[in-house]
Amino acid sequence: MTADSMVSRDVVYQVILLIIIAAVVYLIAATTQENLARLGVDSGIDFLWKRAGFEIGQKLIPFDAESTIARAFVVALLNTLLLAVVSIVCASVLGVIIGLARLSRNWLVSRLATAYIEVFRNIPSLLQIFFWYFVVLRTLPRSADSIEFFNCIFLNNRGLFVPAVSLGQGWEWIAAALFLGWAMIYFLRRQQRRRNVASGFTRPEATETNLLASWKLLILAGVVGAIILVAGAHWEVPRESRFGYRGGIVMMPEFLSLVVGLSMYNATYIGEIVRSSFTSLPRGQTEAADSLGLPRYLTIRLVLFPQALRVIIPPLTTVYLNLFKSTSLAAAIAYPEIVSVFVGTVNNLVGQPVFIMAITMAVYVFISLCIALFLNWYNRKIALTVAL
Amino acid sequence: MNVTVAAKFRVCLDWTRANLFSSPLNSVLTLACACLIVMIGIPLVNWLFVNAYWSGTTPADCPDKSAACWPFIRARFDQFMYGLYPDTERWRINLGMGLIILFAVPLFIPRFPAKRWLIPVLIIAYPLIGMGLFLGGHFGLTYVETGKWGGFFLTLVTAFFVLSTSLPIAVLLALGRRSSIPLVRICCATWIELWRSVPALVVLFVAIIMFPLFMPEDLEIDKLLRALGALTILMSCYMAEAIRGALQSIPKGQYEAAEALGLGYWRRTFLVILPQAFPVALPQITSNFIGLFKETTVLLIIGLFDLLGMVQNAASDPTWLSPGVSATGYLFVALFFWLFCFSLSRYSAWLEKKSLLYKTQ
Repeated sequence: MTADSMVSRDVVYQVILLIIIAAVVYLIAATTQENLARLGVDSGIDFLWKRAGFEIGQKLIPFDAESTIARAFVVALLNTLLLAVVSIVCASVLGVIIGLARLSRNWLVSRLATAYIEVFRNIPSLLQIFFWYFVVLRTLPRSADSIEFFNCIFLNNRGLFVPAVSLGQGWEWIAAALFLGWAMIYFLRRQQRRRNVASGFTRPEATETNLLASWKLLILAGVVGAIILVAGAHWEVPRESRFGYRGGIVMMPEFLSLVVGLSMYNATYIGEIVRSSFTSLPRGQTEAADSLGLPRYLTIRLVLFPQALRVIIPPLTTVYLNLFKSTSLAAAIAYPEIVSVFVGTVNNLVGQPVFIMAITMAVYVFISLCIALFLNWYNRKIALTVAL
Repeated sequence: MNVTVAAKFRVCLDWTRANLFSSPLNSVLTLACACLIVMIGIPLVNWLFVNAYWSGTTPADCPDKSAACWPFIRARFDQFMYGLYPDTERWRINLGMGLIILFAVPLFIPRFPAKRWLIPVLIIAYPLIGMGLFLGGHFGLTYVETGKWGGFFLTLVTAFFVLSTSLPIAVLLALGRRSSIPLVRICCATWIELWRSVPALVVLFVAIIMFPLFMPEDLEIDKLLRALGALTILMSCYMAEAIRGALQSIPKGQYEAAEALGLGYWRRTFLVILPQAFPVALPQITSNFIGLFKETTVLLIIGLFDLLGMVQNAASDPTWLSPGVSATGYLFVALFFWLFCFSLSRYSAWLEKKSLLYKTQ
């Protein structure tokens, strides 16, 4: 067969495929329109501006029954993001600890970590969430007999109550000061690293700059503290009232059980990724660090971890994406995130399945894409470049 | 005699020192772990076995709500296994599952002779036989509507049905994504990435809420079948990525050699490339299957009662309602899933090890 005839054959295939796709899309669209007309559903996204008429248990922005459905969507989206971010952070911390524990030279520690991974990885995450929600958090005492920690954190069957920093007037200044402090630390560290790389001497220079940096940090901390005091921020501690605890931050039981369940489940995967990335490093790296006389924790921090990170990021992206997607399991215990609010409540209310499913899917596709793009960018950033 | 005992003791002591108490930090860690094991293990054993209620089948047999309530499992065991499937027809499930094992076991044995023929039989014929047997309505078998299917039976049916339907689609999607025709490549890639970035629950809701709108008015498709279709779409996308990865690992020389022999695209793919790619993809496919098996629990959210759904349902029965009963039920489900997933993951690890050995030889 000549190259020319192959190309023309490809063109024919593509035209046929295009016609099939167009026909299928047209058929589905036509039937859907017919069905919607028969059911008396006037399609369009006007329903977004209607009055919601329902309450949402957890909200990060003000919301009540008088707000619009569009606002309910934003509230639900923020709840999804909050759950995802908190779970990802907890799962990562726990996962790194478990992964390092599996590599420990201590027999008991590594066996315990292995047992943890093998047990929790092979049990469905929904089952774990149910266990935490229906068994553990349901058996907690009532509000009157709350479990107390340091007289400011309270745990009962209505959730976890922790103190909150109440920002009075001028919280913008605090935010600005904190940002400035963070920027200063970042640039100081970068400068120091550059100097170390340029001179080739780490120790004497490092101690000097460290001392300098720490003095600056101390001053900075003082300034931030002063601003916070001046701005009149104070800790808002939950206090018992007739209707349970008031004030502070309330974490509802649904949220807690989801965070615990999702973090413990996904930490097993992160732990395995951390372990396999460390074992994939050549033994010579550890031996070289040992022969330089570096203590174990510095070997891990300065030699092994930066190299392992390059191997960790791609599989970690998959775990983070899976974790983000499994926040939808929240619908099973009625935590008000996007699926339970939008596909559940709002769809029952307005009966607009096509637009509601389309918006929900678009949200998941968009956020998944963002997570993947961010981690790919980070992966490229830390990848070994030829011109070092 | 004494000397050997002393020597053994010496070895033990050395091992303990080297592995548990090699430094102050390690000693602290060892003691902390030992504390943790004792603190969790003793109450757990007490709850599970020592204080637990074993005999009887009624709620009155577990008066104290703070211990495991095994009578609950005993009373509802048949429901957990078969759902609401009629008592007199349960032999059909047993027979069907027996057939699965009969067909599936040889697949896991390396070097079983007729494996090539077994796979198509399993993938094409088995779902048909299974559906005919479980659904009934002909050959003198009474019709059992899918609404009555449930329990571990539904979990197994879902997992195996979706596995056998998604594999062939996955192969086509993977080949499509590596096709030389741009439009085919773009379509397959978009399709795969679209479904991979959406949670299983949302895909199920699409099948339950939206799919009926796509179909003509008089065509109504069974709810279970719609859910199975949704999971098939999802799973085929994940499997397609596993197979694509394996296809990429096949050296270019294989393609070129097959082409030089004058084989066309399909013969090249099915006789030369896929037989080599499939073993490479098998560990990833197994781990996808484990994921699917765990994912079947999501079915309970859309009102199909799999094993977890059945237990959840039974535990919310007011006559049994208590945290102890719920915990016992969840533990029972966890044990089932754990046994299944753990053995599969061991098998997958063994396969991987074997293929590595094969490569280094």
